[in-house]
Amino acid sequence: MDTLSQLANGFAVALTPMNLAFSFLGVLLGTAIGVLPGLGPALTIALLLPITFKVDATGAFILFAGIYYGAMYGGSTTSILLNTPGESATIVTALEGNKMARRGRGGAALATAAIGSFVAGTIGTLGLTFVAPIVVDFALRFGPAEYFSLMILAFVTVSAVLGNSAIRGLAALFFGIWLGLIGVDLQTGQARFTFGILELLDGINVIVVAVGLFAVGETLYLAARHRYGKDEILPVKDSLWMTREDWGRSWKAWLRGSAMGFPIGALPAGGAEVPTFLSYYLEKKLSKKPEEFGHGAIEGVAGPEAANNASAAGVLVPMLTLGLPTSATAAIMLSAFQSYGINPGPQLLMTQSNLVWGLIASLYIGNVMLLVLNLPLVGLWVRILAIPAPLLYGGILVFATIGTYGISQSPIDLILLYILGGIGFLMRKYDFPTAPVIIGMILGPLAEQEFRRAMTISQGDVTVLVTRPLSLTLLVLAAIALVGPYLYRRLNARR
Amino acid sequence: MQQRSSGAIAVAIGFVIVGLVVAYETSQIALTPLYAKVGPKVFPSLVAGGLILLGLALLWDAWSGRWKAEDADESAPIDWPALGWLGFGLLFNVVLIGVVGFILASTVLFAAVARAFGSVKPARDLAIGFVFAAVAYIGFAKLLGINMGTGLVERFL
Amino acid sequence: MLTRRDMMLATLAGSTALAAGWSSARAQAIDTLQIFVPAAPGGGWDQTGRTIEAVLKANKQINTAQVTNVPGAGGAVGLPQFVNQWKGRQNSLMVAGMVMVGALIANKSPVNLSQVTPIARLTGEFEVIVVPGTSPHKDMKSLVEQLKKDPGSVSWAGGSAGGTDHILVGMIAQSQGVDPKKVAYVAFAGGGPAQAALLGNQVTCGVSGWGEFSEQVKAGKLKALAISADKRVAGVDVPTLKEQGIDVELFNWRGVFAPPGIADTDRAKLTKLIEDMAASKAWQDELAKRDWMGILQTGKAYEDYIKSENIRIEAILKGLGLA
Repeated sequence: MDTLSQLANGFAVALTPMNLAFSFLGVLLGTAIGVLPGLGPALTIALLLPITFKVDATGAFILFAGIYYGAMYGGSTTSILLNTPGESATIVTALEGNKMARRGRGGAALATAAIGSFVAGTIGTLGLTFVAPIVVDFALRFGPAEYFSLMILAFVTVSAVLGNSAIRGLAALFFGIWLGLIGVDLQTGQARFTFGILELLDGINVIVVAVGLFAVGETLYLAARHRYGKDEILPVKDSLWMTREDWGRSWKAWLRGSAMGFPIGALPAGGAEVPTFLSYYLEKKLSKKPEEFGHGAIEGVAGPEAANNASAAGVLVPMLTLGLPTSATAAIMLSAFQSYGINPGPQLLMTQSNLVWGLIASLYIGNVMLLVLNLPLVGLWVRILAIPAPLLYGGILVFATIGTYGISQSPIDLILLYILGGIGFLMRKYDFPTAPVIIGMILGPLAEQEFRRAMTISQGDVTVLVTRPLSLTLLVLAAIALVGPYLYRRLNARR
Repeated sequence: MQQRSSGAIAVAIGFVIVGLVVAYETSQIALTPLYAKVGPKVFPSLVAGGLILLGLALLWDAWSGRWKAEDADESAPIDWPALGWLGFGLLFNVVLIGVVGFILASTVLFAAVARAFGSVKPARDLAIGFVFAAVAYIGFAKLLGINMGTGLVERFL
Repeated sequence: MLTRRDMMLATLAGSTALAAGWSSARAQAIDTLQIFVPAAPGGGWDQTGRTIEAVLKANKQINTAQVTNVPGAGGAVGLPQFVNQWKGRQNSLMVAGMVMVGALIANKSPVNLSQVTPIARLTGEFEVIVVPGTSPHKDMKSLVEQLKKDPGSVSWAGGSAGGTDHILVGMIAQSQGVDPKKVAYVAFAGGGPAQAALLGNQVTCGVSGWGEFSEQVKAGKLKALAISADKRVAGVDVPTLKEQGIDVELFNWRGVFAPPGIADTDRAKLTKLIEDMAASKAWQDELAKRDWMGILQTGKAYEDYIKSENIRIEAILKGLGLA
């Protein structure tokens, strides 16, 4: 049947007052929980599962989808203002976003994040509407070999955040990879680096590491120097809004971020973090002002923010076309389908067309709602930065505690958070970049698992990495990204 | 070129030690007879090697005085009392959060951090911290239904 | 991407802002039931726990329930907490199952299921072996032949090493005289990525619960070669392993336990609660919706069953080199 007429049908479903109310409630709730580090959409939807007994399926899924999209918005707000990422997909946003906020450009950072999220969310949803079947065919061609090559490509992006010394940057990267390896090895069931602590068997949560290194580490560092009057947060200056230059630098980044986020999000093991790394790298390479990166470059917020929202739409592609849950949130949404006696599978689009199209239509609506909800709030949010330092940092630490302790009630995570805060302090003091730790922690274990899967399947034949065309393409891209800029400079110099 | 910094040397040595611990722990990973072309030790061994080599490189950098820190200049004094207050707040929080509950532990943490940042109004800080923690608790425990544990104050909410 | 890191330690209360208004205020036998789920939200145990909550509420057997998730290592993180901190608590149930038995053995856990109070075994799910729709294998016979000829050439996609899926693969190999340690088992985190690998023809075959694959099989995207049941399952057109000359049967059971040290009267009360629930129409409807098999067992029989499972699974894990 015609996609457009089905979509129109979907809008008819989603635009009923009741469903609009659910969508609004969802994005509101999503924004609230996205703000909290550690509390994500997966937990919130699990918490709300009992409503499947009271509310019809369409309403419930519209609510869930609102939470899912809203969480991505909320996560970026705290990344930018407090250097405390609420979601793992918004860690990269903190790199430039918080620098912008400290320079008095918080309003512009929040605005480019909100508008970029809207643009990318809409592009992603358009992709979900019109090209989902094509994307899913492509996604299924990714086997372990391809994923490993994709991770290699993503590792190249670390070069964008190495800081002043390659050695210290790589040291941070390796430290991150090691943190990522802690826990039970999926392939053989062996505990690694757990030091006999049961809580470490499932590994360390990347959000705990990010909040520890960024927020707690920074607070310690600033406390140690506060009396000497350094690193003051500048008040919001000039206009709160994005300037003409900001728009000019943002819009391409939004589009590029969306182009990367959507397909990678649609990969069953792609995730939302990898496209944010790639986008950050690409924006730094393409920027006319690469020297601003690390000091608050707006492209470094616009691109990754677009990438993570587009990937959120991408995740829904395998879920709605094949019934494949590829993230924790999708898994819980699928379990909600079952509460309604709907078995999500390849035939979902056929058998539940009203529900699916109503859900897709509500994503468009939710995106608009989020923009309307968030843009006016920008002015309110940036005032947080005007709070006197003693109270602001007290608040940040209590806030980080809610996220880590509040949901687990285990002091282990809290201890980890503070130890990592201490490490973050040392890293800051001795000029180590912290971003490579996060990149290593996310990519390291993925690369390891995919490589070992590939080797088990190929019976130890390493050449699969280059004999499979898709894998080879990714490796070539990685090579270009690594030596391309260097060669380019050499060529230019000779001319 | 900067002076040789004893702090940087200590950090580099610490890093080498982390590398050695990782190497030792890697040797302790049980190697299962399970079919796996690439076992659970391969990547950890690479990481351990990388950590040790990078640690030695750091040590060389620190020793030769090439550790050029742009953001953090070594000579800046550290405000030890401030760090002390912060450390006290964090320690108090970890140790007592399970005993006195989230709200009280957070109140003390808040006031300690504020003290570290130079606040001289402990009563005001405690009051603000208490309200902030209580509002957060009510918001998340009561409205969202997240189990935040119990405590001396939580019991009455 | 569904990694173990995505799943944070979580404690959730079942009664949400929305749900709170709906709970009935009628006087009942049990006011608040505490449900302890030693796994992250969304998984099989969590679904079981939340279904129990929903059915008991719908039946008005309880007023409200509070679900606490403590995920980690197949339950090895949650169980010690349940044994120590929940000791003697009334009106509390933990959801657990076969996976925990295996995880406790593999992780050499200091606590085990004999330290908690068994209440009831509730559901079971058979495992199926599937191949991609375009696979040359039409039945188990040809798959097993290839396995015997060259074990490394057959790659099996399933859940984490040492879990139910892996155990079944080990049992099949063992029964065919193939060393289970030589089997090329590829562990995936979660059902999504494993299914994607099968749909994309990246692996030879896959093993998981029937519910996980049923829709893909019905759509013809995957072919089911065998089911791990003792005899044909009604409504499932898949031959058993036994029919195909492989003497293996296995089902992934789930049940509930009370904390250690509770009074006999409390134990009886909880047993009655679950027995009544299992007999109710609401529960039977849920079983049908979720492709779960009702296999209620309570009392001494259940206690003995746990003991025998412990012995059986330990032996299989030893064969796999995991215990």
